Amino acid sequence: MHFLGMDDEDKSSDNEQSKPDKMFTLKRWNSVAMWSWDCSTDTCAICRVQVMDACLRCQAESKKDATNKDVTCVVCWGECNHSFHHCCISLWVKQSNRCPLCQQEWSIQRLSS
Amino acid sequence: MSLRPQRIVFDDVWGCLRQTVEKVLKLNSVRRDDWNSSFTDVYSICVAFPDPLADRLYSETKLFLENHVKSQLDEFNCYMNDMNDSESGENQLLHKYYSAWKNYSQGLEYLNYLYLYLNQQHIKKQKVSEAEILYGNGTTPLTISQEQMEIGELGLDIWRLLMIQNLGDILVKQILQGIERDRVDNCLTSKDIATIHGVIHSFVMVQDYKKKGNLQLYESLFEGKMLEASGNYFTSQASKLLQNCSVSQYMQEVIRILEEENVRAHKFFHISSIQKLKKECEDRMITDHKNFLYSECKEMVSNDKRDDLRNLYVLLKPIVDGLKELIQILLEQIKNEGAESIMNLKGENIHIQFVENMLQVHQKYENLIVETFKNDPLFLSALDKACASVINSKLSDGKTTCRSAELVAKYCDNLLKKSKSTECEIETKLSKSITIFKYIEDKDVYQKFYSRMLAKRLIHDQSVNMELEEVMINKLKQACGYEFTNKLHRMYTDIGISMDLNNKFNQHLKNVNDELSINLAIKVLQAGAWPLGPQTNITFAVPQEFEQPIRKFEAFYNTSFSGRKLSWLHHLCAGELKVSLAKKSYLITMQTYQMAMLLLFENCDTMICKEVREVLQLNNDNFQKHLQSLVDQKLLLIDTEKIEDSSVLSLNLEFTNKRTKFKITASMQKESPQQEIEQTITQVDEDRKLYLQAAIVRIMKARKVLKHNALIQEILSQSKVCFAPSIPMIKKCIESLIDKQYIERTANSSDEYSYVA
Repeated sequence: MHFLGMDDEDKSSDNEQSKPDKMFTLKRWNSVAMWSWDCSTDTCAICRVQVMDACLRCQAESKKDATNKDVTCVVCWGECNHSFHHCCISLWVKQSNRCPLCQQEWSIQRLSS
Repeated sequence: MSLRPQRIVFDDVWGCLRQTVEKVLKLNSVRRDDWNSSFTDVYSICVAFPDPLADRLYSETKLFLENHVKSQLDEFNCYMNDMNDSESGENQLLHKYYSAWKNYSQGLEYLNYLYLYLNQQHIKKQKVSEAEILYGNGTTPLTISQEQMEIGELGLDIWRLLMIQNLGDILVKQILQGIERDRVDNCLTSKDIATIHGVIHSFVMVQDYKKKGNLQLYESLFEGKMLEASGNYFTSQASKLLQNCSVSQYMQEVIRILEEENVRAHKFFHISSIQKLKKECEDRMITDHKNFLYSECKEMVSNDKRDDLRNLYVLLKPIVDGLKELIQILLEQIKNEGAESIMNLKGENIHIQFVENMLQVHQKYENLIVETFKNDPLFLSALDKACASVINSKLSDGKTTCRSAELVAKYCDNLLKKSKSTECEIETKLSKSITIFKYIEDKDVYQKFYSRMLAKRLIHDQSVNMELEEVMINKLKQACGYEFTNKLHRMYTDIGISMDLNNKFNQHLKNVNDELSINLAIKVLQAGAWPLGPQTNITFAVPQEFEQPIRKFEAFYNTSFSGRKLSWLHHLCAGELKVSLAKKSYLITMQTYQMAMLLLFENCDTMICKEVREVLQLNNDNFQKHLQSLVDQKLLLIDTEKIEDSSVLSLNLEFTNKRTKFKITASMQKESPQQEIEQTITQVDEDRKLYLQAAIVRIMKARKVLKHNALIQEILSQSKVCFAPSIPMIKKCIESLIDKQYIERTANSSDEYSYVA
C-alpha cells in the first residue's frame, strides 16, 4: 500500500521543487514547543502559585471548565516588568498602588492572552 | 306523634320495646311498624317528663342482654355435658359457637341502630374524651361498671364477660387442634376454615370498639398459646428434618414451611400475628440450627452452588446477624480467588492479564451477588472490600511496592495506543478498567503514570482516537473529580488548540503569500500541565533548514497571543527526511537530532565526530545516542568501533533497505522502563508530601486548634480520594510544618497543635 503512496508523494515533490539532485529533503516536521508566560519569575509573588497555573483564589473556586482558565486568570505585567496574576494584583492595588516587588508606582503594561 | 316530652309509664313502653329487642337479637322478623315505633319508644323514654328515664332504659336493656347471653351459655354447657366424650362433638362446639356469635353480633348491630337516640344523646355526652382514652388509663373495671357504654359496645362487653370468659379456654384448645390438623394433613373443609377464622376474629371484634388495647383479649387468650403451640410444632419438625436431610434439602423444606405458614397465618389469624408467627418459625427452624446451615457454606461458595446459596440467603436474611458468616466466607473466597488470578503473572502482557483476570473475578462475584443475593449492599461491600484488598496488597516478595496502579494505567495506554479493536470495544474495556481503578488506593500513582503515557501518546500521535482520549479523561473525572484530571484535560485541549493553530498559521501564510519549505505541524503545549520533566540545559544549534519555519511561526504566534514565550522541545520533535541516494530514494522518519546530523552531509561526504558535535552543540549524551542509531542503520559509516571524538564519519552512498519508507527509533527510549517507574514513584512521593502539608495547613487554618488524632483523621478523610497516606508520613509532614512555623504545639498539651497566623 504505502509504496503506491510513496510514488505519489515523490511526483508531487518533484513538481514542487525541481532540484532532484539534492540529497536530503525535509518533507515533514512535527515539532513540539512549550509556551509559558514571558516573565522573569515563575511564581506570582502575591499568591506564591506558578503563574502558569490559575491563582490560588481561582483554584479554590475550582473553575469546572479547564479551557476557561486562560481567560479568567490571566497574567499581568506592570511597567516595572514584574508580573503577577491579574486577579492577585487587582486586589493588591486596592490597598497600595505600588508593585509589591519594587515599590514603584503600579501601572499595567500589558495583559496576557 | 309529638316530639315534645311526655309523661309515660316506663313499664308499658319498655314492655313493647322489649319484644322488638328480643326479636332483633334472635334475628326473627320484625314488622316494619313495630320497628318504627320502637324508635319512638326509645326516644320517648329518653325524653320522658318530668324526669328522663334513659338510665333506667339502659339498665333494663343491660339486664336483658345479660340474660340473653346467659341463656345461650347455658345451652352450651348442657351441650358440652352431653357430648363430653365424643370428638366430633367437640368439633361441633366451634361451629355452634361461631353461629351463635354470628347471630348475636349481627343482632347486636341492628340493636345498636335501634338505640341510636340513646347512644347519641345520652351516652356519648358522658363519654370521656378521646384524649382521655388515649392518655389516661380509663379501662379499669371500676370505671367500666360506672360508665355507660353504647348499646352495641355493651352487648359485646357482655358477650366477652359471660361467654368468652367461660368458654375461651376450651375454644382455644379446639382451634389449636384444628390448626394442628391443618398443618399435618391439610384436611380442613372450607367450612372448618371459615369457622376457625370466625372464632379467632370474634376475640378481636369483641373488643374492636376500644381505641386502646383492642387486641388485648386476642393476645392474652389466644395468640400466646398459638405461638407456643406453633413453636413446639416447628421444633419437632426441624429435628425430624435434621435427621434425614442434607443442608440443601433442609433449606428447601424450611422455605416451603415458611411459605405455608404465611398462607396459614393469612387464612386464620389477625394480621398482627403474621409477623410473630413468621418470627417464631424462623427462630425455631433457622436460628436454632444456624450452625447446621453454616456447615456447608464454604463448600457452596467455592462450588458456586447458586440454588443453595439463594435459599441460604433467603433463610438467613431475616435473622439478626445471620448473614455475617456467609458474607465473611464469601469475602475470603473472593480474596483468595482474586489473589490467585493475579499471582505469578509472566510475560509482556502482565498489565492485560492483571486487569482482565481481576475483572473476571470481580464480574463473576458481582454476577453471583445480583443473581443469588438480590444485589444486597452488604454483599456488594464485601466484594469491594475483597477486591480492594487484593488489588492493593503488596506483592508476595515484599520488596516491590504494589504495581496495580502502574499496571492499570498501562492497560489503558495499551488500549488507547494500538488496539485493533473497534471504538466501541475499546470504550467498554476502558469503562471496565475504571472498575478496577476505583479499588486502587494509590490513585495518584495511577495519575502520574497515566499522564506520562498520555503525554507520549499525544506528542507522538499514537492515540487511536482523540474522542476516546476525552472519553477516558471524563471517566476519570467522574470517578475522582475535577482536580484529579485537571492537568490531563489541559493536555488534551492543548492538542486541539494546536490543530487550530496550525490551520490558522497555514491560512496566515497563504494570506501573506508566503510558503514554508517543509510541511510543518506544530504542537504548542502549555508549561506546567505536561509531565515532561526539566528541559533546561539541552543545547542544540538549530540547522538553518528548521530555522525559517520556527521564526515564521514564532512571529505568527506572538501576534496571536501576548505575553507568551515559546521554547522548542527538539528532543520530542520528529520528521520525515527524504534521502535520495544513487539507487533509490527513501523516506525516513526520524528525530530532529538525527535529521540535523544527516543534513550536515548534504555538501560533504565525510566529517569528524567532534566537528559534528560542535556544529550542532549537542551534549555528549544526546550526541552519542542519536549518532549510534544512524550508524546502526548503516546510513552513516564510522571507522572506529566506538564513537570517539576523532572518529571519521562518512555517508553510506551504497545504503540499501528493502523498504523505501521506514523509521529510525533506536534512541526513542531515553530511559529504561524500570528507571522511569522508579522516577515516577519518587515523584509521587514528593507530591504526596506537598499535598499532605497543604491539607494540614488548610485544616489547621480552619480549626485553629486541633488534637493530634483529630487532625490525622481529618487528613485521612481528605486524602482518601487520591491515596492512602501512611501515618509516619503524616507525622513527618506535621514535623516539617512545625519547623517551618506554620503550626506549633500548644503550651498546655503535648498532642495538640495550633495554627500560627
